[in-house]
Amino acid sequence: MTDFMMLQRRDALKSLLALSAAGALAACVGEGKSEGSAKKLSASPKLSASEMALISAMAQTIIPKTDTAGAVEAGVPAVIQSLFTEWGDDNYRTYWRAGLDNLEQHFLKSGGQAFAKMTPSQQANLLGKYDAKAYGEAGFDDFYKSMKSTIATAYYMSEPGATEELAYEAVPGEWRGCVPLSEFPKTWAT
Amino acid sequence: MADFDAIVVGSGISGGWVAKELCERGLKVCVLERGKPTKPDRDYSDFLDPWETQHFDRISNDVKKRDFSITGLSYAQKESNRHLWMTDREHPYERLGNQSFTWRRGAHVGGRSLLWGRASYRLSAYDFEVNKADGEGVDWPVRYDDIAPWYDHVEKFAGIAGNRDGLAQLPDGKHFQPAFEHTCAELDLKEKLKTSFPDRHLIMGRVAHLTQPTEEQTALGRGQCQARNRCHHGCSYGAYFSSNAATLPAAERTGNLTLLPNSAVSKLLHDPVENRITGVEIVNTITGVGSTHTAKIIFVNASTIGTTLILQNSATEAYPTGLANSSDQLGRNLMDHIGGSQVGAHVPGHLDRYVTGRRAIGAYIPRYRNYPKQEESYKRGWGYQVYSGRQGWGAPSGVGDGFKAANRAPGPWGIMLDAFGECLPNPNNTVRPHKTKADKWGQPIAVIHLTLGPNEKALMKAAHQDALDILDAAGFDGLYEAQKPSEDSGVFKVRTHEMGTARMGRDPKTSVLNGWNQSHDIPNLFVTDGSFMTSSAVQNPSLTYMAFSARAANHAADLLQEGAL
Repeated sequence: MTDFMMLQRRDALKSLLALSAAGALAACVGEGKSEGSAKKLSASPKLSASEMALISAMAQTIIPKTDTAGAVEAGVPAVIQSLFTEWGDDNYRTYWRAGLDNLEQHFLKSGGQAFAKMTPSQQANLLGKYDAKAYGEAGFDDFYKSMKSTIATAYYMSEPGATEELAYEAVPGEWRGCVPLSEFPKTWAT
Repeated sequence: MADFDAIVVGSGISGGWVAKELCERGLKVCVLERGKPTKPDRDYSDFLDPWETQHFDRISNDVKKRDFSITGLSYAQKESNRHLWMTDREHPYERLGNQSFTWRRGAHVGGRSLLWGRASYRLSAYDFEVNKADGEGVDWPVRYDDIAPWYDHVEKFAGIAGNRDGLAQLPDGKHFQPAFEHTCAELDLKEKLKTSFPDRHLIMGRVAHLTQPTEEQTALGRGQCQARNRCHHGCSYGAYFSSNAATLPAAERTGNLTLLPNSAVSKLLHDPVENRITGVEIVNTITGVGSTHTAKIIFVNASTIGTTLILQNSATEAYPTGLANSSDQLGRNLMDHIGGSQVGAHVPGHLDRYVTGRRAIGAYIPRYRNYPKQEESYKRGWGYQVYSGRQGWGAPSGVGDGFKAANRAPGPWGIMLDAFGECLPNPNNTVRPHKTKADKWGQPIAVIHLTLGPNEKALMKAAHQDALDILDAAGFDGLYEAQKPSEDSGVFKVRTHEMGTARMGRDPKTSVLNGWNQSHDIPNLFVTDGSFMTSSAVQNPSLTYMAFSARAANHAADLLQEGAL
C-alpha cells in the first residue's frame, strides 16, 4: 500500500522534493543571489515578530477571509511557528529563514516597504505576480512553493478549513465510490 | 510438570491465531510478547481530528534520525502512532552492503496486526505447485486442497470483505462479507481491460474489514467498518482484523490464556536426551530480570526474522548452527515482495461523480504473466495494487479567492498501478546473528542480506512496462512514473512482507519444517509466522499465515491428545 491521499495532493511531489532538498537549497534560495543571501541570518529557534508578520500577511493574501475563515482566523501562523520551533531541525529552520528573508527583500525592493505594511490590494497584486513567476519558471523560488504548501496544509487541516471551507466527516459510516458530485460538491479535507 | 501445555512466542497475526485455536481446544497457553501491553484507550489515536494532531502528524527529522535511522519512515508511521513502532535505536539490525530492506516492526501486544495493510488474498493451486514445476526452491509439502478449508476457517472468523471473482489464480472465499465499492476510475479501467487485455482483471481489493459483522464477531465486541481510513492508529470499533480485536479476546474468554507482555525470549531450552524443547528463557524488557517457563509444545511466532534469530541464538551442541537446523536452511531463502514501480495516469471524464467516505483499500489486478503457463524469459509474475480517486486540495498556483475556489472543488480523477513482484527463494539471501553486536538485552542482533537477482530485476522491468501499456491502452493520459525501476529494477524496502527463512518442505535435508509447520528435527517445535513460506507468491501473505497457523495449532492439539508429543 501507499498513502494515496498524500499522492492525491495537487502539489505532493513538488513539496516532497522541496522538503528532502531543504538543506541543499538553503544556500541558494530565491531569485538569483540577492543581497539577502549574503547577510548573516538569526539563529534563534523561534520566528521573530517581523518574520511572523510577513508569514501572516502572505498566508492571509494566499487564503483571505471570504464567507469562510482566512489563514489568520484559522490559526495558520501559530501552526507554522510550532513547526519551526518544535518540529523542524536546523536545516529546516535555515531554509525557512533564508527563504523568508529573500521574500522580504524582494517586496522591499518591488513595493517600497515591508510586505506586512502594504495595503491588501498591493499585497495581492505583488504576491500574485510573484506566485505566477514561482509556478511559471522552474527553480525561480522553490522555497515559496514549499511555504505555500505548508500554509495550505495548516489551513485545510484546521477546523474551519476542513469543516467550513471544505467538507469533513470524522466518522463517515460508509464508503461509496462513484456518487453524484451534486450530493458532495466540496473537496473532502481527508 | 510443565507450567503450560503450550507457549506461543509472539502475539501478532500468526501467534494470535495459534493462541486462539489452542485455547479453544482446551490447552493452557502462555503467549510471550516482547512489546508493551496495548490499551486501546491509551494507545489508539483513531479519533484524532486533523486539527487535533501536532505538526500535521508528521514525525520530525530529529526523531527520524534518532529512532528510525535504518528503516526510515513509511506512509503508516505518524507522530500520533509512533509509540506502536519498534525503534531502530532500541532494536538495531544491520544490512550487508548497500541494501534496501527495511524491517518495520510492532512494539506492542498485537504486533503488526495493528499496523498491517489488511489486504487478504489466498494463494492458489498454482502457487503451491510452481516450485516443483519450475525447479526453484523446494516443493511445497502442501497443496491448495489441504489448506482451502483452513482459509475458509480463518476468513469466516476474521471477516474478509470482497467479491467472488471466479479467478483460479486468486481463489474466492466462502464467507466473504460485502465488498467495498469501486471508484468511477476503477470501473472505467475494469471495463476497458475487457477489450484491451482480456486476461487481466481488475477486481475490488479483498480486505480484513467487517462490512456485515456476524454474531460471532459482534460477540467479541467488534463492529462494522466506519470508512474512516484511520486503521494505522488502531481501531476502536475493532472493525479490521487484529490480534487485539479478534484472536486474543477469543483466546482470553476460554480462561486458558496467560499473556505476558514485556517478555523477550532469549533462548529456547532443548533437552538433548528427549530431543524436545522443554521451555523458554525470557528477559523482562522493563526490569531486565530473567525467568524460565516450561511447556509441552512451543510455537515460535516472533515474525520471520525474530523467529530465525531466536532459533539461531538457541544453538546447542546437538544443533550448533541453530535449533532445528540440521538442513542448514534456517536463516536462508529470505524473501520479500518487490516494489519500485508505480505508474499513475489522469483518468478523463467522470467529473460529475465523486466519492463519500474513506475506503481503506484499493482495487487489485491479480497475477496474469506466466499464468497458467510459463511463457516469458523470466519466471513468476506480479500483481498490481490499484489506487484511485479525485485530486484533493493542495497548493496550486494562484492567490486569494481563486486559490480557495480551486481547492474547494475536487480535481480530476487519477489512478495508479503499484506492482508487487514475486521473489524467488535464494539460499544466499540470509538472516544471521551478528558475531559481536547485541541489543540492550544481550541478544545478538540480526544481519540481513537480501539482494535482487536477475529474475527479480527482469520481472519488475516487465511489470513497469505492462503498467504503462495498460494505462495507455485505456486511453488515459498524463502518464507519470512515480516510481520507476532503476538499474536495479526494483527494491526491497516498502512491502514489509519478509518471509521464508525456516521453510516448509518434504525433505528434512532441504527444509526446516514439515507440511504441518512442525520442525523436522524437534517434534514439539512449531513455527507458523512468515518464515515457513516455501515461495513468496505475489499475494499479500497475512491471510496465508493465519490459515497455516490455525491448521498447525489444531494438528499440534491432535498430536498432544493422541499422546504423540
